[in-house]
Amino acid sequence: MIKLDKVDKVFPGTTVPAVDQVSFQVDEGNICVFVGPSGCGKTTILRMINRLVEPTGGDIYIKGQKVSDKGVNPDYLRREIGYVIQQIGLMPHRTIEQNVALVPRLLKWPEDKIKPRVKHLLEMVGLEPDEVAQKYPHQLSGGMMQRVGVARALAADPPIMLMDEPFGAVDPIVRGRLQDEFLRLQKEMKKTICFVTHDINEAIKMGDHIVIMNKGRLVQHGTPMEILSNPADEFVKDLIGSDREIKLLELTRSEEIVEHTDEIPEVVNKKDCFIQAIDPVQRALETMMKKDSDLVGVRDGESFIGTISWEDIKKHINRISGDQA
Amino acid sequence: MELFGGSTGWFAGFYDEYLGFVSFIIRRWDQVIEYTFNHFSLVLTVMFFSLVLWISVGLLISRYEKLANTAFGIGNILFVIPSISLFGIFITIPMLGLGRTSAALALILYAMMPMVRNVYRGIKSVEWPIIEAGRGMGMSPLQILFQIQIPMAWPVIFAGIRVTVVMITGIATVATYIGERNLGRFIHHGIARESADMIIAGAVLVSIIAVLLDFILGKIEFKITSPGLRREQDQN
Amino acid sequence: MEFEMERFISALFDRSPPHAVEHLQLVLIPLTTAFIIAFPTAVLLTRRRFIKYTDRVMTFFNMGQTIPPLAVIAIFFPFLGLGRTPALFALTIYALLPIARNTLAGLKGVPQDVKEAARGMGMSEWEMLFKVEIPLSMPVVMAGVKISVVLTSGTAALGALVGGGGMGAVIFAGIDFFRAELIIAGTLIIGVIAIVLDRLLTVIDNILTPPHMKT
Repeated sequence: MIKLDKVDKVFPGTTVPAVDQVSFQVDEGNICVFVGPSGCGKTTILRMINRLVEPTGGDIYIKGQKVSDKGVNPDYLRREIGYVIQQIGLMPHRTIEQNVALVPRLLKWPEDKIKPRVKHLLEMVGLEPDEVAQKYPHQLSGGMMQRVGVARALAADPPIMLMDEPFGAVDPIVRGRLQDEFLRLQKEMKKTICFVTHDINEAIKMGDHIVIMNKGRLVQHGTPMEILSNPADEFVKDLIGSDREIKLLELTRSEEIVEHTDEIPEVVNKKDCFIQAIDPVQRALETMMKKDSDLVGVRDGESFIGTISWEDIKKHINRISGDQA
Repeated sequence: MELFGGSTGWFAGFYDEYLGFVSFIIRRWDQVIEYTFNHFSLVLTVMFFSLVLWISVGLLISRYEKLANTAFGIGNILFVIPSISLFGIFITIPMLGLGRTSAALALILYAMMPMVRNVYRGIKSVEWPIIEAGRGMGMSPLQILFQIQIPMAWPVIFAGIRVTVVMITGIATVATYIGERNLGRFIHHGIARESADMIIAGAVLVSIIAVLLDFILGKIEFKITSPGLRREQDQN
Repeated sequence: MEFEMERFISALFDRSPPHAVEHLQLVLIPLTTAFIIAFPTAVLLTRRRFIKYTDRVMTFFNMGQTIPPLAVIAIFFPFLGLGRTPALFALTIYALLPIARNTLAGLKGVPQDVKEAARGMGMSEWEMLFKVEIPLSMPVVMAGVKISVVLTSGTAALGALVGGGGMGAVIFAGIDFFRAELIIAGTLIIGVIAIVLDRLLTVIDNILTPPHMKT
């Protein structure tokens, strides 16, 4: 869907490239997260995809079409791509409704189509249209403004979204909630999303695919599991942090390591120690600690499918992280 | 002053002493009208050219940063020149001479600073993320100018227009010394003839007009400001 | 425009100097008086007890600026007669607003956390005012004084109309006789006065401004 081929960017007045020979591909319907320290070039890559910044070398393709082709008007290109930034950038002199309707109006949608669309979008991002539509941005909380920012980017139903730290300006609790809701939305929308963050935890949580950047170079890319279980170098290891194993447990579903059995062990029943098959393994660990048990039962919906023991978890950790010293 | 019981009543004494200018205004009503009309027609002419010229210059320098310093330098120098000097210099230029052209040109130059500065400030006060979001959503530079920058800067621009109108109305009085027949003339002739009534009449009339203009334009300024932008002003 | 260098030189060096001294007085006396009035008033208006009067007082100061300068100068003439006094009164009123406005803005601009910290260290309200608020707001106050200097230097030219003397006398003579040389010479000296005073205030500002706030 989106392809970068040896893309370079050297900003005028500098000699060190901000982006250096970066190539990768984002598949349709995936969230690809760019992560790295500030100044690593992740935001520049994002801004080159919708041509807010022009690359100095290499090519960028969207659906096989080169974005730098003469026939492509950058303004029209951007209207087909959703764009969310950390500072949100809502127009303070316009109501929430007018803000969300911005791109549809640029695309000259008929007015009778815009109103219901705005209402639908506000509902979709968890806002009450009757309550907020006529308000101005300063009357909303930070979390609500972020939601409006997402709704505005989705307004014309663009197949591609570029999101630059979209949940960066709110406190961790609200951020977690916004992330969860967005992932739920994404399950239905199946947009192709490029997502920039400096927070590796957010990257692991949001990403189908992670691209790790440092000093303009692509250091490693792969699924969160691939990166956690096999960090390419010291930089990636540092970025992931010392709680790598715990993060791995977050990424593994319990059903992947369950010991299938039909019989419910007595200790599990007595301590009411159950989790769901789709819960991450980390949940099994938490439940064990909370209920003071070294065995949890795993259910799929209502039906019991097996157990996970403390030994199983240890074995799992050794297996996925054992292949490196 | 028969109206108030001859010259013996206390009110008549008070009237003669302090309110003589009122009867002056009533006596010279036709002249008051003529001078007021001339005053406003000069201010309107000046404002018309100033709006066209200085808003364009303001927009231009907000885009081409290098020109900004030059423009502000010129504006500052113009501002240090006393109004009477500027009028005086223009009338000694043979092409212009005594009259309205000289007066209007000098006033247009005076309008430069408050107008250009406020247009520039207003445009520059639009924060970067808002422009970035606009660009990112595919607004063209013109759409960004007309749908984001100018509407957001409009309260500041209008404040500049308000200051300019009041200022020009005030300085225009001085143009009486280069032949303008406006409200400044009462003050001008009043001083020459040492007529207190005439001076006060002129000063009061022109002050009332200036204060009134300021008040009305202030109301309009509030009205046309988007409610979404008002909060920041409330806090000042 | 006829321009005779000789006449210009003579206007600049023979005719102007006595008027320049008068002009300087027409600027400095009102400016000092205006500062003595406007600065303490504005400081008071930021104190809790007087804050409710701010709007009314500022409206009054605002009038001094909204009313045309010629009217302000003229209005004192019938009461105070010809001479320097009406001009000094008028120019004082004219210089009030920028100083008062900037003092208010400067004091309001002192960050809340700085004041909080000062109070936390046990400063009394007076100590806070003199050791924290006024020093920190000095650059903004001085900017206001500078605006007043420029305004007063120019407006003082109108002082000559009511017999107040100053460079206005030279300029008006130029207008009466259509002599650009006189007008330009007079304007030049007013410009020099304004610039010299402005520089002088910059020096004072540098002495008064706390070192860390200098740019």
